[in-house]
Amino acid sequence: MAGYRQTAVALVLALSTGTGWAASQATAKQIERGQYLARAADCAACHTAEGGTPYAGGRAIETPFGKVYGTNITPDDEYGIGDYSADDFYHVLTQGELPDGTQLYPAMPYTSYHDIAREDSDAMYAYFMNLDGVHVQSKQTDLSWPYSMRWTLNFWNWMYAPDDDAGQRRAADDQRGRYLVDTLGHCGQCHTPRNRFGAIERDRHLQGAVIAGWQAPSLEAEALAARGWDDASLRAFMREGRSRQGSMYSEMYPVFHHSTRYLDDDDLAAMSHYLLGENPPAAARVVQKSQADDGAGRQLYLNSCAGCHGADGEGAPHVASAMTTNTALRLDSPRNLVKIIHDGIDARAFSGYERVQAMPGFGDALSDAEIATLASYLRRRWGGQQDAVTAENVADLTSAGD
Amino acid sequence: MPQFSQSRRRFLKHSVVAGVSTYVASLASPSFAALFEQDILSPTAQAWRPGAGMKFRLDGIAKVTGSKVFARDIRARDMPHWPDTQAHAFIIRATRCDRRYEGIDLSALEAAGLAPDRVVTAEDMERDNIQVPEYYGPAFFLPAGEAPLYLGYPVALCIYHDFARFSVAKARVRAAEDVVVYGEQTPLPEKPPYGAFRYIRAGGDTPYAPDRFSALQETVLYPDFRKRHPVWPQALENGKDSQRAMYYANQLAEQLDTPPDDWLVFEGEYQTPYIDHFAMEADNANCWFDADAGDMHLVCGSQSPAELVERMAELNSASTFASARLFLHPTYTVGYGSKDNSIFPYYGLIAGLYGDGQPVRLANDRYEQFQATMKRHPFTIRNRLAVERETGKFQIFKQNLTANGGGRANFSNSVAFVGATAAQGIYYMPNSDLTATAEFSRMPEAGSMRGYGTIQTMAATELMVDEIADQLGMDPFELRLANVFKSGMKNTQGAIPAGHLRAEEILHKARQHEIWTQRASRKQAFEADHPEQRYGVGFACVQKDFGHGAEGVFSEVRLNADGSIEVRNTGAEMGTGYSTSQAAVVAQWLGQPANTVHTAETEWDDLAMTSSGNPYVMSQSDQEAAQTDPRWTPMLQQASSASNSSYYLSFPTIEAARVIFRHGLWPVALEYWQRGIGGGQAAPYVVREQDARWEHGKLTANGMEPLSLAFLAERAHATGRVTGAMAHAFNRWEWSRADYRIDGTDENLPLDGLAVRYGDGASEQKKARMTSKRGFELLTRSNPYFPPTQRNNAGVTYYSACATLVELAVHTGTGEVSLLNHHSFLECGNTIVEELVSGQLQGGLAMGIGHALYEDMPLYEDGPGNGSWNINRYHVPRASEVAVWKQSADILAPLSRTDPPKGIAEVVMIPVVGAIGNGIAHAIGHHFHRLPITPERIREVL
Amino acid sequence: MSTTDPIVNKPLHVTVNGIEQPVEDIPEQLMMLDYLNEYRNLTGTRFGCGIGVCRACTVIVDHEDGRSEEIRTCITGAHYFEGKSIRTVEGHAERDENGDVAKLSEVQQQFLDHFSFQCSYCAPGFVNAATVLVERLQREPIPRSQLEATISDALESHLCRCTGYVRYFRAVRAAVLAMPGTTVEG
Repeated sequence: MAGYRQTAVALVLALSTGTGWAASQATAKQIERGQYLARAADCAACHTAEGGTPYAGGRAIETPFGKVYGTNITPDDEYGIGDYSADDFYHVLTQGELPDGTQLYPAMPYTSYHDIAREDSDAMYAYFMNLDGVHVQSKQTDLSWPYSMRWTLNFWNWMYAPDDDAGQRRAADDQRGRYLVDTLGHCGQCHTPRNRFGAIERDRHLQGAVIAGWQAPSLEAEALAARGWDDASLRAFMREGRSRQGSMYSEMYPVFHHSTRYLDDDDLAAMSHYLLGENPPAAARVVQKSQADDGAGRQLYLNSCAGCHGADGEGAPHVASAMTTNTALRLDSPRNLVKIIHDGIDARAFSGYERVQAMPGFGDALSDAEIATLASYLRRRWGGQQDAVTAENVADLTSAGD
Repeated sequence: MPQFSQSRRRFLKHSVVAGVSTYVASLASPSFAALFEQDILSPTAQAWRPGAGMKFRLDGIAKVTGSKVFARDIRARDMPHWPDTQAHAFIIRATRCDRRYEGIDLSALEAAGLAPDRVVTAEDMERDNIQVPEYYGPAFFLPAGEAPLYLGYPVALCIYHDFARFSVAKARVRAAEDVVVYGEQTPLPEKPPYGAFRYIRAGGDTPYAPDRFSALQETVLYPDFRKRHPVWPQALENGKDSQRAMYYANQLAEQLDTPPDDWLVFEGEYQTPYIDHFAMEADNANCWFDADAGDMHLVCGSQSPAELVERMAELNSASTFASARLFLHPTYTVGYGSKDNSIFPYYGLIAGLYGDGQPVRLANDRYEQFQATMKRHPFTIRNRLAVERETGKFQIFKQNLTANGGGRANFSNSVAFVGATAAQGIYYMPNSDLTATAEFSRMPEAGSMRGYGTIQTMAATELMVDEIADQLGMDPFELRLANVFKSGMKNTQGAIPAGHLRAEEILHKARQHEIWTQRASRKQAFEADHPEQRYGVGFACVQKDFGHGAEGVFSEVRLNADGSIEVRNTGAEMGTGYSTSQAAVVAQWLGQPANTVHTAETEWDDLAMTSSGNPYVMSQSDQEAAQTDPRWTPMLQQASSASNSSYYLSFPTIEAARVIFRHGLWPVALEYWQRGIGGGQAAPYVVREQDARWEHGKLTANGMEPLSLAFLAERAHATGRVTGAMAHAFNRWEWSRADYRIDGTDENLPLDGLAVRYGDGASEQKKARMTSKRGFELLTRSNPYFPPTQRNNAGVTYYSACATLVELAVHTGTGEVSLLNHHSFLECGNTIVEELVSGQLQGGLAMGIGHALYEDMPLYEDGPGNGSWNINRYHVPRASEVAVWKQSADILAPLSRTDPPKGIAEVVMIPVVGAIGNGIAHAIGHHFHRLPITPERIREVL
Repeated sequence: MSTTDPIVNKPLHVTVNGIEQPVEDIPEQLMMLDYLNEYRNLTGTRFGCGIGVCRACTVIVDHEDGRSEEIRTCITGAHYFEGKSIRTVEGHAERDENGDVAKLSEVQQQFLDHFSFQCSYCAPGFVNAATVLVERLQREPIPRSQLEATISDALESHLCRCTGYVRYFRAVRAAVLAMPGTTVEG
């Protein structure tokens, strides 16, 4: 409740100093809704530096063309969006164009946000305008030519900006789920493949893509089910950041941290429903191979993994994911699995008291061939993936430039 | 199996409890070295810097080279007289309290060839008549058909004769969800509170005038419970003491409800965190039952070995195993309270009984340790404090606290009342009404932990004082100084604390410290450089009692003819450096530290002392009747806890050394100085015993020739003077005293039992009197004085003070708190070993920082009782979180060289808690009432 | 759950503190900590958490190229060490023919002189971590001005409940400064 009281004070101050921005009309309810929508739209993932004030900017976004930094979107007049009107805000959000006409880099997912409703934009505007302004300048972008020339973006927009709704072929009646997944959640920005100009291939909606070296897996219903997902586990995964299928890591962890954990049960259900469809395919169960068929891989597993993940892959609740139900082992591509084994995963905090220690990387301890043997064993034993991973695969996937 | 010869066995100590002969040999003691050919303690000669104390811990070399120091390190093959094979056991526990427990299903294990070699359940306890000691409450194992009283109740113990199968089976049981079988739904368990205590004090006109009413003068109130609610006596102005108590309590309540206009009545509810000791050595025991000989052997770490010896012997003798002898090997350990009166070793004992002749090791992993080991009591504290606005003077303090004691009674009652009686902190409260209730819950049991109720209440008081200062617009130091407790004032129980209290002096020092004086300019500069952070400075100061209120301590000091010194004492080494300081304390009388120290000794037959009654609740008339027996004492041995080692446990050691000095060394020194014609070198000077000094390891006085200890020891032995003393001391916020005739001289000493040994050259007549087992003459006391039982109501009287200034930054975006720096002030009398004291301070600060900012768990189903907790989820402070390079401290100089060494192991962790909370309030303007102050909670208020 | 024999044994060849250990058939899933504690009776390497967080179980792996590395034995299988050479806390001091400590290592001596540890349960991990750090700085010296930060980085992950770390950190600084060639001006 203290938050509302502060808000009221802020409003009075704003009125008395006569800035007179439209958000001064905002009600506490509208601001709260704005916060919820800003979370659903995961603005923080890009506009918040690690360990920094929310929305004060600074996080580096790796794009195929170079680094783009999330900007300060707190209402600071100099470094933030303090001088934006609600119209400006809506325009930037949905068109990717600043009030002064400058075109934004498409790292800002305005192609997804294109369909954001005006009233939702106004609610988000009200929320942002009621934050404390943070007088911090965000880092400048660092793109390679010709992308450092912003005018080229106009050309890009002309070619690829959406002029129709994405994901038309999904259940048309599930507007809410679609809005959350495609528009606010902008899931397709990672999970839909892009062409060589960096634009989303709309006909391959949510079919999975490689982004920043990681596999953003397909979110199509059949693909999800094949990897063991069902409605309950998808919702748990978004709400808790973890489920029997594994935990959020890499680029998905910030999505959980800033966005999905705040969504209410109805919205999570709507997203799950939209992704899995009216009649979800049954989650596949993998027939577990007996342990005796891969001596070398099994011994590597026992040596380096079993201490936490269990000799039988059973995992440990709250401590280490189970291998037996792990979705990463079921992906066709060994990319994510190999990268995790090689680089490890940082310590993460999930909701409430859930915290997971870092998983060590084994890039130094194991050779490429050993990682390949281990990954092959894991995929065969618990993932139902028979294709062997080779040392060359490992070298390719983990080379520094990737 | 190695032979365990009779000649070696005689080194072990022996006494009889409940018909069971008990033998105790610490792994660190020479008696055990006789078995091990190994000694944990280094020779003191290497460690001693004459005139400057200890260069390193006596146990340091063993510890830094990975020697076997902990019980955890001991395997059957390390015990020369045990079989070499080692069996292993684990406990299966019920993790829900809303269902009846039906039994365990080990069929999956059996199918996998991993069936235990022995499963022990409640049925075995029943059949073999193994009864849980009354202190610990309900049965060891839950019988099938009952609902667990608390989360993590043991249902079975599985024993494996080999490690490989044990470790695989244990992992599988952990992963399986269907091993414990539950039946029908039951209501969650409820029980009446364990106890409640109310301390009411209505002061006189001045702090020094007699009280109108106080606990010490009149009585503490202990209510009855009806439907789990306390029932208080009727209030009567001229009634019985308990009725008068209520009269004054009501009067105070009325004043709080209708205060005069110039009073501020502050109200606040404080909640304290659910904390795990995180003693890195998890509980463990290794136990061998030698059925052929009827002998029970047990290795385990304990803060209270005397308690184990007594209760285990009783348990054994009542059971059908009827083991006739019990061998306990207490080891060095670490506990912070968790190994004080812990039920764990009894499960080790049971494992041994069912080991089929094999030694069985029961060792918690970290999940089990979180699940089953005692925790800190979470408190809910409701404070009301009336303050006169103009002067800031406190008027009436009312506190109502509940301590959540969990599902098995342990020290909950005493934690609750110790918390309440400490709540006043460093302040004088003219009137007070403090109620403490210890409650049952289905949480794993709470017990003793460093801070013991006082970190909960005193941290809350310090948070409250800063908030009141804010409300009054007063400088927090001014408010503190207006109310600081001065020597000679009475505490909330009506007792006058011992000696000079130095909190006021600390307040004046802290106020001058640059962290405080420069806080405004530093805040400005820091926030200019860090626009997303807010800078804050916080201060808190507490004084804490040390000791249990009843301390019984034995000690023996022996001076050999070659000048070497041996010390034996009852305390346990838990990492605090106790063994090192015991060696050091004799130097003040004997000029050098002890060469050998034996810790955790429980056998003191030489003094033939007996005890009866409960020292805390016995009546004065019972005490007076009992003390006519010259061997009686209110308490034989207390555990090593409550910061009691430096003062209480050292006390009889120092007294015994003094007896040797006065009746052994001084007479021979004087003789030497006076030899020759006309009184020798001593004649031209006046030589007085009080001028005796040890300088550079030699004794001198008034300019006499310095004499070495070896020289004096040889002569004391040759002339048959006192060369050894064994003493018992008892303290109830005051030491017992008695007269003794020592080698022909009468002396009044603060001891209630004393025996002495004479040198090798003693006369036959003297030697004939040295008849005790270790060759001592047992003296018989006269004119004994025991502290009146009324002093029990004092609660506490021995205090040490500590304060901490904290500089911190709060990130307004994330809510993260960074500790930038802190500085502490500690008053501890004379330090025995300064490095050990500052080490305790640094460690206590880290634990306090965890308490304030990081450590917490859910209490019930999602909490540690469910068996899934480990330190990935429990945040123990790391080096980056304690200002490891910047922190600093002042240890106050003692008032004089005669100040007693004070217990400080607990007080050091407390002020930093309040200081952090107050620093956060300075940074962001919000006074938190709930700990820990996590980023989430900070974000909520920003 | 498998119905085959739950324990499959394999021989292990490992060198501990310079001594090739007797080759013994040990379970394929045995953790190194259990091997040291239960099979070799080397109990200075301690179990703290079992999930690789507290680092009381840290030992040193000595690589053939002279590098030394910390490794957590509670989460690393014994067979990982097949053919490898490790140092445990028991192996740092020089010992006489009776096995008694003749001379402590520089790190151990500094820990002793600084009263660094209390209960000492975590001391083996700190001895090994600090030794690895000192050895690294001998190979790759750092500017003096970076020493405190380097020590903080190297020891941050080690947990201690008794000491508040202060005396450990000061001792490691003293050990580094006592070893020639570990720091350069700057």
